[in-house]
Amino acid sequence: MRPLPGLNLQVAPLARLPVAIGAIAFLFLGVFLVYPLWCVLSASVLTADGSALTLQNYAKVLSRTYYRASILNSLTIGALASLSTTLIALPLAIGIARLEIRGKLVLIGLAALPLILPSFVGAYALLLLFGRSGVITQALNAWGIPFGSIYGTPGIVFVYTMTLYPYVLLPTVAALKAVDRSVEEAAESLGSTPARTFRTVTLPLVAPSVLSGTLLVLIETLENFGVPAVLAEDKTILAVEAYKLFIGETATNPAAAAVLGSLLIALTALILLIQRRYIAGRRFATGARRVPPPIKLTAPWHILATLYCWGVVLLALVPFFAILTLSFLEFRGPVLHRAFSLGNYAELFSTARGPLANTLILASLAAGLAGLIGIPVGWVLARTRSSLTSVLDVVSTLPFAIAGTVLAIGLVIAFNSGGLVLTGGWLIIVIAYTVRKLPFTVRASSAIVHQLDPALEEASVSLGVPPLVTFLRLTVPLMLGGIVSGLVLTWVTLASELSSTVVLYSGPWRTLTVVMFQALEGTGAGVAVAAASLLIGIALIPVLIAYRLLRANELSML
Amino acid sequence: MSSIAIEGARRSFASVLAVRDVTLKIEDGEFFTLLGPSGCGKTTLLRLIAGFAELEAGRISFGDTRIDTLPPHRRNIGMVFQNYAIFPNLTVAGNIAYGLKARNVPRADVSRRVEEALALVRLTGLGERWPHQLSGGQLQRVAIARALVIRPEVLLLDEPLSNLDARLRVDMRGEIRQLQQRLGITTVYVTHDQEEALAVSQRIAVMEAGRIEQLGSPEDVYRRPASLFVARFMGTTNVLVGVVAARQGAHMDVRIGTTTVSLQAPHDMRGGDRLNLCVRPEALRILGIGEGTKDGEIALAATIASCEFIGPLIRLDLTLSDGSPLKLAMLDRPLHPAAAGDRVSVAFGVDRVSIFPQAAP
Repeated sequence: MRPLPGLNLQVAPLARLPVAIGAIAFLFLGVFLVYPLWCVLSASVLTADGSALTLQNYAKVLSRTYYRASILNSLTIGALASLSTTLIALPLAIGIARLEIRGKLVLIGLAALPLILPSFVGAYALLLLFGRSGVITQALNAWGIPFGSIYGTPGIVFVYTMTLYPYVLLPTVAALKAVDRSVEEAAESLGSTPARTFRTVTLPLVAPSVLSGTLLVLIETLENFGVPAVLAEDKTILAVEAYKLFIGETATNPAAAAVLGSLLIALTALILLIQRRYIAGRRFATGARRVPPPIKLTAPWHILATLYCWGVVLLALVPFFAILTLSFLEFRGPVLHRAFSLGNYAELFSTARGPLANTLILASLAAGLAGLIGIPVGWVLARTRSSLTSVLDVVSTLPFAIAGTVLAIGLVIAFNSGGLVLTGGWLIIVIAYTVRKLPFTVRASSAIVHQLDPALEEASVSLGVPPLVTFLRLTVPLMLGGIVSGLVLTWVTLASELSSTVVLYSGPWRTLTVVMFQALEGTGAGVAVAAASLLIGIALIPVLIAYRLLRANELSML
Repeated sequence: MSSIAIEGARRSFASVLAVRDVTLKIEDGEFFTLLGPSGCGKTTLLRLIAGFAELEAGRISFGDTRIDTLPPHRRNIGMVFQNYAIFPNLTVAGNIAYGLKARNVPRADVSRRVEEALALVRLTGLGERWPHQLSGGQLQRVAIARALVIRPEVLLLDEPLSNLDARLRVDMRGEIRQLQQRLGITTVYVTHDQEEALAVSQRIAVMEAGRIEQLGSPEDVYRRPASLFVARFMGTTNVLVGVVAARQGAHMDVRIGTTTVSLQAPHDMRGGDRLNLCVRPEALRILGIGEGTKDGEIALAATIASCEFIGPLIRLDLTLSDGSPLKLAMLDRPLHPAAAGDRVSVAFGVDRVSIFPQAAP
């Protein structure tokens, strides 16, 4: 009798550990990801009393130009941002991978920074500099130079481009470095000019990596809440409208919020599916035995290329420097004065010590939990192959495609009443954070495990050490560098999480991002700038401390 | 230490049967080799013994104890991996002590046994080194010491020499064999290298497509291959095509090209059957001018197509009168040079010929 794959109830002794890990992961993701999403979906297709299936909600929402526009706006902005990101990042990647640019190591380090800096802080900086009462706008106006509006599409696309370009840059650099030199030599030996070789051999080889990055950017733009919340003004955006309908100060409409949420999930999940199914898998691993030599350019071109690379990378960081600088100036209400002051910080610490502590506690708990679940799951995905593990792979990647606001809405609907009530507490925030970051820890973990020879674990087991002990005593220590850097990045990005926090927080559990978000809406620009600076510091300091470790283990999510 | 009994072992991956109902008894203290081309199921069979693959059917016992129901960490095996699998985060001594600590051996005994194991593989004094400071051959010794120090029931070696360079490979295989004889430990050795298998083994199981094609001593499988596959896999062989002209009792007349020879007939051969006759290049000799065949020898006329001089040996490519190729190998003989184009008589003993029904082309 042959056991059916995946239905083998009598679990083989060797497979018990992966099965146990998989079961825990399925339970966690089932309860805190699939069930909430199911709640969102069912709220969108049920009548108000929940008695019958209906498409009324969709008809109602889609009949209004206002909401139809939000879909169109989200897609337009996403498409424009993906395009501009790719156009900016591709030459930069070529420069970093193939040219001898001065200070290249520092350049790469700085180029990866936008991944950990909160994008809505970047948006806020743009607002402070170029907004209607922005520092630079006012200066320009004082000199009589007219300046257009950065609100709406242009500002949002600009911020996305400057904060998301590493998503295209890093995998493209990796792919360019993985092209085996002999492939290019073969082309040249056949009479192809270097330029033609680059166009017809090298670029096609890296195209899947570029495209895969582009689609990740598209997903990020669609689910991003903070940037449009700061910059959209009267432009409607899907993720923001879903939030407003659910939390809104006027009339809340959960069914309509669920409709927008479901549409958003459908869009992002579809793109993620395309990315994983058709593109990520088509990457050509030529396994470079010989890395191509740097391209030689004539001096003027080389100077131009150097300026471009450094220019883009520094320009992306300017908003963050600006925020840090502004935080030490004096604000009176929204108005800025050119005088050094620690007043913003004093005010922040007097009013927001709680939120600061909350941010640290919630991010730490969630990063720990995401590691606790994600690391074993990553190990299972890297080590065992079955129909169940491929489902686990899909489910654990899914949160990447779920907008934070939509996940949070789902969690509220799911755990607002009934057997398990979580709303209003800290746990629901930790859960949302954990679910959101799980794809990252899982990918980071499985990437490290893939580099570990499975024979090491088998050797340990063959010497009499049971699988679980082997995992804890041998595998985890060998993974340690990667685990630590993965957890640092998780923690850092959680500290500036806004999109699900803004739906889930309650009075005592406000975070720094919420303080900043509320200050934006009110008049507390000084507090907002100080909070933003603090967030930048929280992101930068651990990363600087763990810089070496991170360099060795970057990239695993992409 | 104990014998290994494998009964009806079966294992498949997806739709491929990697091991098809293999039954096998490995004696206590035997050096036993699983030999075959890649994908023949030899590594899978070893991993079934180790417990890293699960049996779908059948059973495996060490001595009288059934072990296929035990998880691998409770089978008390010593395993040496192809790429050594030395723990990079532990020193040499730490690697060797790893299995002892898992068995809660008292601390004092651990260090004594680690020292003994180091001495056994001639690495005394290197206990505090880190793996990255060792050469491939040294890593291999650490792997062997680590597997032996736990006093396993059986020693399993999965292509242990394939990552070493050619000369070291020859030295190490001798060392492994001596060590095994000294300790008398039941050993299962997996390799795809037939020379290595012949050099170290007491018995060899030649595997193909998940089945054991032949089981026997090195001499048996080399000199008396049970199938055309074994004959070809165990080194260079000539495969001649012959037709049974007539059968008389235990003998038959076989026509090879234009020559007819009389051979011992396998019981199922009949007149008109087409045969493959396998004879090894070194079983052939060139007759001197005027020299006749000895008793029990067959002679064929051939032309030398090319000569290859490789030092101790000379290899000749010959062409028979019907155009079919024939390979011949002989020890270097400077006094009797052979040259391309020479017409020669080639003789070989009938007892050096293996006869098989002709394989489908």
